[in-house]
Amino acid sequence: MPEIIVKPSTLRELWVMLPELPAARRYLAGGTDIVTADNAGVEPSRCWVDISALPELGAIKETARALFIGSCVKISKIEASAAVRKWCPALTAAIPHFASPSLRNMATLGGNAANGSPCADGACALIAEGAFIFLALKGSKRRLLLKDFFLGPKKTALKKDEVILGFEIPKRRHAGAYFKLGPRAYFGISKAAVAVTAEISGGVIRRAAVALGSVAPVPLLAVKTGAWLAGRALSPGSAALAAALVKTEVAPITDARSEAGYRREMCGVLLERALNSLT
Amino acid sequence: MKLFSLACSVNGHKVRREILSARSLLEFIREDLGLKGTKEGCGEGECGACMVLVDGLAVNACLMMAVQLHGRDLVTIEGIKGKAGGLHPLQKTFMAEGAVQCGFCTPGLIIASEALLRRKPKATLEDIKLELTGNLCRCTGYEKIISAVAKARGK
Repeated sequence: MPEIIVKPSTLRELWVMLPELPAARRYLAGGTDIVTADNAGVEPSRCWVDISALPELGAIKETARALFIGSCVKISKIEASAAVRKWCPALTAAIPHFASPSLRNMATLGGNAANGSPCADGACALIAEGAFIFLALKGSKRRLLLKDFFLGPKKTALKKDEVILGFEIPKRRHAGAYFKLGPRAYFGISKAAVAVTAEISGGVIRRAAVALGSVAPVPLLAVKTGAWLAGRALSPGSAALAAALVKTEVAPITDARSEAGYRREMCGVLLERALNSLT
Repeated sequence: MKLFSLACSVNGHKVRREILSARSLLEFIREDLGLKGTKEGCGEGECGACMVLVDGLAVNACLMMAVQLHGRDLVTIEGIKGKAGGLHPLQKTFMAEGAVQCGFCTPGLIIASEALLRRKPKATLEDIKLELTGNLCRCTGYEKIISAVAKARGK
């Protein structure tokens, strides 16, 4: 456990505070990942910097073109947002599968991304939503496609002391779905998960994105499958063909949670179910 | 180790304590406040035995740091009471339905159920099942727990 926990009240205060703090420091948002990791002796730090109250990270904002979800907004607050339901159907569908109700009162999307897990339900859904992640380090800000933020298991593009400001989802009316296979119906870490978004008109998919969790070193955007779906009729036939294609794009491993071959098969099954659920 | 001056509300009473930054909320509740109704099961957010209400929302006390309670309102199982004192309706229905066996999970389940019924007084059986996904019970098989929560609706 940390020796000190400090809590800046603005980003500006954070940047001023940082040089005075012990070098072994981490950001604390919801705590649901870092407290468990620290208890297990993984990445212990002398100092935690509680960023959960920074106003810059704490709001859901809507502009004409995009929805911005602050990195420290609690998942249960996102769950209750009408704007999120309207503009982020895959994320909306993923939230009931995100941990448990009490953990959703604590956890944040910023933490979900920073943790760098290939099974992060929130990150997987946001990738399918075409989200950008906004990062800040002192005076400089940058924006990445969320799919490019993940570099490997527990590895992200975050630089030392860089803060995740939030996620921007372009406003495009689309359908979306999230299908997850875990050890039980809810509150489990996935063996495989599929997030799909699609702009559909006249029964034809105009644009689609397919993202998968727990079947690659990172939450994976299945680029080929998404591109293949564009221009196809939304039908059981195209869903079956897309399911066959997606199995060639994933790179699952065998671990404590599941077996590689089974995971690959389930990617197809889950994608087919997800596409057939869209209207 | 640096001390932090924590000010918060606990079961309706103002509390101020000097604590270590390394203190978890669960340690603060059990060791510093001596409120032993909140249990530690897994210590990693899986079982829900340590659930408490912070600003009216159910959270896992094992995964929250005590300093994060600063300025906020904590309700533990000891603060769950009926309107006229005595047992809370959920406590009565848990007893009447036989929803308690070893009892270790019960404080967390009452807290989770109370959070649900405050938010959704007319919760459906499906709502109840979904809300309790973060609470493990190894004795009852859940049926009696779900029926106890259902019977507490509107009371």
